[in-house]
Amino acid sequence: MSTTTGLGQSPYSVQVGVPAAVLKAKKVRRRLDLTLWEKLYVAEIVRGLVITSKHFFINMLGFIFPPAGKKRKVFTVYYPEEKLTLPSAYRGRPVLVAHADGSEKCVACGLCEKMCPAHAISIVAAEKAPGERYPARYTLDLGRCVYCGYCEEVCPKEAIVMSDEYQGLAQGDRNLLRFQKEQLLRPEGKVKTRLYFVRRIYSKWNY
Amino acid sequence: MLADLIESLAKIVFIFTVNVGVFAPILGWVERKQSAVMQDRIGANRADILGFTAIGLFHSLADAVKLLTKEDFVPANANKFFHTLAPFIALVPAISAFAIIPFGGRYELFGREINLVIADLDVGILYVFALAGLATYGTVLAGWSSRSNWSLLGGLRASAQMLSYEVAMGLSIIGIIIVYGSLRLTDIGAAQENFFRWGIFLQPVGFIIYMTCAIAENKRIPFDIPEAESELVAGYFTEYSGMKFVMFWMAEFLEMVTISAIVTTLFFGAWHIPFVTDAMLLSWFSGFAGPNGAAALAMAVNIAVFFAKVSFFIWLQMTIRWTLPRFRYDQVMRMCWKMLLPLSLINLSITGLVVLLL
Amino acid sequence: MELLIFYAFCVGAVVSALLMVTTKRPVRAAMSLVATMSFLAGLYALLNAHLIAVLQLIVYAGAIMVLFLFVIMLLNIEEKEGKLAKNVFFIQLAGTVVVGILMVAMVVVMNKIGAPVAGAAVDETFGTTKAVGWMLFTKYLLPFEIASVLLLAAIVGAVILAKRRIDNSKA
Ligand code: SF4
Ligand code: SF4
Repeated sequence: MSTTTGLGQSPYSVQVGVPAAVLKAKKVRRRLDLTLWEKLYVAEIVRGLVITSKHFFINMLGFIFPPAGKKRKVFTVYYPEEKLTLPSAYRGRPVLVAHADGSEKCVACGLCEKMCPAHAISIVAAEKAPGERYPARYTLDLGRCVYCGYCEEVCPKEAIVMSDEYQGLAQGDRNLLRFQKEQLLRPEGKVKTRLYFVRRIYSKWNY
Repeated sequence: MLADLIESLAKIVFIFTVNVGVFAPILGWVERKQSAVMQDRIGANRADILGFTAIGLFHSLADAVKLLTKEDFVPANANKFFHTLAPFIALVPAISAFAIIPFGGRYELFGREINLVIADLDVGILYVFALAGLATYGTVLAGWSSRSNWSLLGGLRASAQMLSYEVAMGLSIIGIIIVYGSLRLTDIGAAQENFFRWGIFLQPVGFIIYMTCAIAENKRIPFDIPEAESELVAGYFTEYSGMKFVMFWMAEFLEMVTISAIVTTLFFGAWHIPFVTDAMLLSWFSGFAGPNGAAALAMAVNIAVFFAKVSFFIWLQMTIRWTLPRFRYDQVMRMCWKMLLPLSLINLSITGLVVLLL
Repeated sequence: MELLIFYAFCVGAVVSALLMVTTKRPVRAAMSLVATMSFLAGLYALLNAHLIAVLQLIVYAGAIMVLFLFVIMLLNIEEKEGKLAKNVFFIQLAGTVVVGILMVAMVVVMNKIGAPVAGAAVDETFGTTKAVGWMLFTKYLLPFEIASVLLLAAIVGAVILAKRRIDNSKA
């Protein structure tokens, strides 16, 4: 799995993990008894030292002369300054998807409320016009949510999806974690990759 | 008399500042940073003063403040006297071992002969062994007096390990002593003026054995079974906190510096640059600095070269520490008694034979 | 100055020796013995016998006493204190007799050697490693070798005893 960070203020684009193309099965010698050469220790220790100091010197060089624009060898991400762009399989805070005009897609069918194993969702349904339901209030208690994604899976309207938002999931006050509909609404463009992902994944089971 | 006093005081202050003031705090930073760089990480860099991080150097400062303000905890059943005494016994040898290590040659400065070593003892290297022997008590007493099973086991392991490795370490050094015909470290250092008479060329096996034993004596990975954190929490200093903990910690780092200094002195030409003798340095510098200035400059070069070599061996020890996994206890003991000891005996007899025949 | 240090070491040695004999706790006794050895090493160093001083530290304080401490810690003798109380009188008696005999022997030997000349000029090389080594391997070679054979015999004996125990437990 290979992803890149969002650039943000950082001049680097950070590669996390080893690209799948590079991952190759390596042949490992399965014999457990050591050869005489290996039993002498010293040569093998030197071999190990050479590997680690190779990393040391290459990285040192990278620190002293930062390679501009090129990929860094270091895996660490400076978190608050740099952020990872998460893979679309990541389940962050569940959010409600909005139409282009800003109104929610949700039709207040109540399936997610029923499905939620943590009873995190509570909906008050109402009708805009006869036969056209909408959630007058949609409360999602993120203090209870276990990020299982069942709500997303069960929703017939693609109205609730798991976003990649992971900040602000912890608060000092539980009341701050009770999110209302207005706080949860996101334009469709923001969750597009997740929507495609959901379609691809769940279509396997032929819903 | 007064000049003598001033001279030795100046040397003591210099070594003390370099060791306790520079090496001890900075090595904590080096340990973190080097491990990070070796493992493709970045390492500590968040402690800042006014937004200025100095590549993580302030973490040492933060550590110091934290540890100094921590509660000095003594377990309920502990033997208070020995519990307090142990860190001192561990730290004092580590600091004072540097007294006999020469960090430069012998020069004439303003009509005074100045020898860049604090105490030029006739017994030389044996003094270090004596101190190493005493340092064992720090560990053992710390383990025993804490009244904790982890500590006790750590202390037991430490005493057995340090005792065993002292034997092999002593024997590995005798080869060098035979070759140079002196226990005095200044003599050994001066004898390595010729690049091809460096200890590493004359005693390569001795070097490997000494390095191994020294790391084992210092209880660092791969020989850190007395403080194996996966088995014994922190071994013999599990029950220590605050200042006393710092003393163990500093003792370990200072011992590392001492080991590097001894390796440099015995095996890697002490303060000499390859192919450059002290006389050559003097003659180069006296061209533009006069005799006194030349001596001072040559001293400075000596000291710089010596500490550069010491830094290299500190780096090597750190690299070893972050490369190798920990040995099992029986492996440690077997390695000492069945590999290193016979090897050093063979090395010793071959050296003696060769020296006798030549 | 030298006299002051000498007296300091002397008092230290005597006090720690007394502590070692009188204390009831094994670890404390062992550590007092270590202190005594260290003070003795200091005295040797004052007498210009640097090599002997350092060897005293390495061998006695550094190696042998650590082994003692090791055994004490391993066995945790602490609890067994006072068990010897029954025979304590005889032990004291035996100790007094042995020490008395040693004392007499020492006085006899001292008399034979004669009192050291006060302030006798010490040879430049006295106490150096070279001088001691030279003495050890020429004049006192035979006693030296006998002592080492004795130690070897002790080591072999210890190994044999330890080995046999292990074999018995296996059988
Ligand atoms: S993710 Fe799971 S727990 Fe969270 S609201 Fe949806 S169904 Fe409930
Ligand atoms: S399942 Fe979808 S449409 Fe139904 S109430 Fe939940 S979010 Fe609204």
